[in-house]
Amino acid sequence: MNPLKGIFQRRRMTDDLSEEMRQHLEEKIEALVADGMAREEAVHAARRSFGNATLLEERSREVWMWPWIESIWADVKFALRQLRKSRGFTAAVVLTLALGIGANTAIFSVVNTVLLKPLTYPDADRMVNFLAPSTVIANNLHNIPEFHFFQRQTKIFKEVVAFDSAGPGFSLTGGHQEEVHGIHVTEGYFRLYGAPLVLGRTFTPQEDSPHGGKVVVLSYGLWQRRFGGDQAIVGKSLSLGNEPYTIVGVIGKDFVADVQADLWLPFQFDPVSTDMNHFFFVTGLLQPGVTVAQANAELQAAYPEYHREFPNTDPRPHFTVGPLLDSIIGDARNSLMMMLGAVGLVLLIACANVANLLLVRATSSKREFAIRSAMGAGRGRIVLQLLTESVLLSVTGGILGLVLGFVSVRALLAVSPAGLPRIGEDGSAIGLDWRVLGFTLVVSLVTGILFGLFPALSVSSTDLNSSLKESSNRSGTGFRQGKTRSLLAISEVSLALVLLICAALLIRTFIALHEVGPGFDAHDVLTMEMSLNGQRYQNTTGVSQLLRDGRARLNALPGVEITAAGFWLPIDVEDGTGFQIVGHPFKKHCCGSAWMSITPGYLSLFRIPVLRGRDFTENDNAEAPAVDLINETFARKFFPNGDPVGQHIRHSHRIETIIGVVADFHDGGLAKPADAMIIAPIAQVSDSYNAAYANIQPLFWLVRTRGDPHTFIAAITKQLRIASNGFPVAHIRTMDEVMGLSTARQRFNMLLLTIFGAVALLLAAIGIYGLMAYSVAQRTQELGIRMALGADRSTIRKLVVWQGMRLAFIGMLIGTCAAFGFAHLIASFLFGVKSWDPIVFASVPVLLSFVAFVAVWLPARRAAAVDPMQALRAE
Amino acid sequence: MTPKSKSSSHSAARDLFPGALEIMVLQTLHWQPMHGYALVQHIQQRSRDLLQVEEGSLYPALQRMLKAGLVEAEWKISPTNRRVRTYSITPKGAKHLELEVSRFEQMLEGISLVLAPAKG
Repeated sequence: MNPLKGIFQRRRMTDDLSEEMRQHLEEKIEALVADGMAREEAVHAARRSFGNATLLEERSREVWMWPWIESIWADVKFALRQLRKSRGFTAAVVLTLALGIGANTAIFSVVNTVLLKPLTYPDADRMVNFLAPSTVIANNLHNIPEFHFFQRQTKIFKEVVAFDSAGPGFSLTGGHQEEVHGIHVTEGYFRLYGAPLVLGRTFTPQEDSPHGGKVVVLSYGLWQRRFGGDQAIVGKSLSLGNEPYTIVGVIGKDFVADVQADLWLPFQFDPVSTDMNHFFFVTGLLQPGVTVAQANAELQAAYPEYHREFPNTDPRPHFTVGPLLDSIIGDARNSLMMMLGAVGLVLLIACANVANLLLVRATSSKREFAIRSAMGAGRGRIVLQLLTESVLLSVTGGILGLVLGFVSVRALLAVSPAGLPRIGEDGSAIGLDWRVLGFTLVVSLVTGILFGLFPALSVSSTDLNSSLKESSNRSGTGFRQGKTRSLLAISEVSLALVLLICAALLIRTFIALHEVGPGFDAHDVLTMEMSLNGQRYQNTTGVSQLLRDGRARLNALPGVEITAAGFWLPIDVEDGTGFQIVGHPFKKHCCGSAWMSITPGYLSLFRIPVLRGRDFTENDNAEAPAVDLINETFARKFFPNGDPVGQHIRHSHRIETIIGVVADFHDGGLAKPADAMIIAPIAQVSDSYNAAYANIQPLFWLVRTRGDPHTFIAAITKQLRIASNGFPVAHIRTMDEVMGLSTARQRFNMLLLTIFGAVALLLAAIGIYGLMAYSVAQRTQELGIRMALGADRSTIRKLVVWQGMRLAFIGMLIGTCAAFGFAHLIASFLFGVKSWDPIVFASVPVLLSFVAFVAVWLPARRAAAVDPMQALRAE
Repeated sequence: MTPKSKSSSHSAARDLFPGALEIMVLQTLHWQPMHGYALVQHIQQRSRDLLQVEEGSLYPALQRMLKAGLVEAEWKISPTNRRVRTYSITPKGAKHLELEVSRFEQMLEGISLVLAPAKG
């Protein structure tokens, strides 16, 4: 049936129907009257034998309907009319829901992007990441022999590729100079990651071998930006660090890799290399049908073979792989799950609040429902109608929440990027897709049913007679509904308390982190990165030459106090090394520690004290005997009983002398204690080490200034450009900014949970206020009587305050118990505070009590202001 | 009175099996087109008041048959000078009636076969 035609036809049908039913009754009445019955009696008799006209008419009409959709549509129309009549109520409910659903949408959109969206690579489900369960530092970096060993496991892996961890910057020289981000990859990389080609080709196996030539593959972005999308670019040359590279291909626009890059270069590993430096990531593709568990078992079985080949190299106990997605997500999963839990609680509170509002409203229209039941409306019909109304509210709230959530998540991530993976620049990758829309829809519907079902059932099951008899404004004081509403208020308070306690614990964590002395002085220090490309920096002489020249130029600048350089910042040292202590019994895999190389001045620049012995000087150069500094943890761990200064360690195929002990600093982030660490002068590090560093990551230039470091940027970058013969610097930050970034995740957690806690507190306060205000309004008469009988105003006030506060106290008691459990769940996010922190558990209830008291005080004051005469007369 | 017991509370006693009302209406209309009130009167008279149909329940049934195309309706002036909606059976309705009657007779036969030994 044509639906439109159907609707018109149906309207005529139903008009006809009521007309003929009316006619039927009339005819019957006339017949009865003709038989001698009194007219009034005849009317009754006719109606009786006809049956329930309304119901029958409805049934008849239903024949013509798509019954479900249409009766829902009728309900929707009715509900819309009802809601339009009480705009204040509607606005309050929709806003509360928008807040609750919006928060959920916001967090879910992040969860969706980070955790749920599949990787875009071909065979992504078979891609694995090679992990490095190192005894020193688990950074998942590998070396060339390991890589070749992995490649030989063809039973397990179809493809094994390597790529740079962070990737060095490249100084794109010639014409306009800029720092571009390039990474080294092995030849199979583009195949494994399914990179689409726009022009040319990717690297051949020959180009990825030693002496394979200087070749480069461009990203779409760089090709467009720098070369205007030149179609004839393949075969042309490009200057990186003043050396020419041949462009062999351009990758398509849509390629998104784990490590973003402007261009790619071949690693050109030596197939017989014994270089033990760990400096790149490895990913692989499992053979079809091989599971991760099988792959790990095979790797485990094959490990002795590797170990025979390279007996005393590496403190790694074994090799393992894990699903690629897992290692990309990392520890973000826990953070996000906590957020999802928190917003879930917020939504529950919002639901309780709205349920309370609806209950009040439904109670006041109880008589209406009673009348409708009396007229023949089925209970299901009434419940359905109330549910339609609540779902309509929740869906409206949901739509608003979708907008709210989407805007707020973008704003939030722009303010606090949180270091989450996969979210793009400032969260730009977070978008609306069917999952987010579906989630919001489902949440809205479930919410609507959840908060609507309570009032609907409680109203529709009431006794008809008493409801009809009861005077309208006294209904609703019924014991049962009072109890339901009190229960709702209690649960709101307890949920809010749980959230507030979690938020308070995270705030304490954040404060504790900031109270941690990092072990160095980050103020007034400028950091900037320079990529050391080119042949000149493939040996120690070239690198130390640049460092000497650069530091001399910077030291000459007015206002510069100290300058230094290093390959790591003290808050984030990710390299480790194995060594033996001379004089200690030889043990395989004995000793590992963190390791970094620096110039003289690094320690005094960061004001890291040398506790024993001496700091490096310019004289600790390639010609001088090899020396090291160690930190306190190292000394405690490896020299528990003696003075380490003057002792020797065997490290990178030579003997090095320990010349001093420096104070510990938080090299792995503020939340972690210091690792044992060896510090070496860059000028004495082997050529291969310095070359490896120059190839895999930029060098940090560091300058301590007198006054605001920002004002020195122009002068410093100019001097460095001269010293390096034209290399640009990038990522110019003060050390304070770097410190801020290092606690970004904790800041994000704290910020969000505090916002959720505040929302919960507000909602709970509104909930209590609403309940007490309504109860006072309902009991005006009772209060009037009490006053007339001699209760004074303060007694009344106390009565109301006590009733409200009792609910709050019960809620807080339950909430405190629940919070112990919840706080335990977030224990892994806490630092410097126990999950049962007494200060938090004592102070949060006090705060909540105060807020609850304010919420109760206002209605109590109104109750006390009741004029007994007015109240008694009002009925 | 509780809300559960509606006005039709004593209707259980005269509930017909599903479809019975339809057959009777079709049979009546097969004999002669008529309007709703007349249909009820006719069925009650013919059944010698053994079947007390709740008068209103005729209308949902009529609507169902209208929708299925078994009957047609038309506004006419009745002999008593009343504007009434007169129903008549369609060819499709006649065929349906035939089918239903034979099915009904089969069912009756079946039921009486089951009941017969109990009587004997």
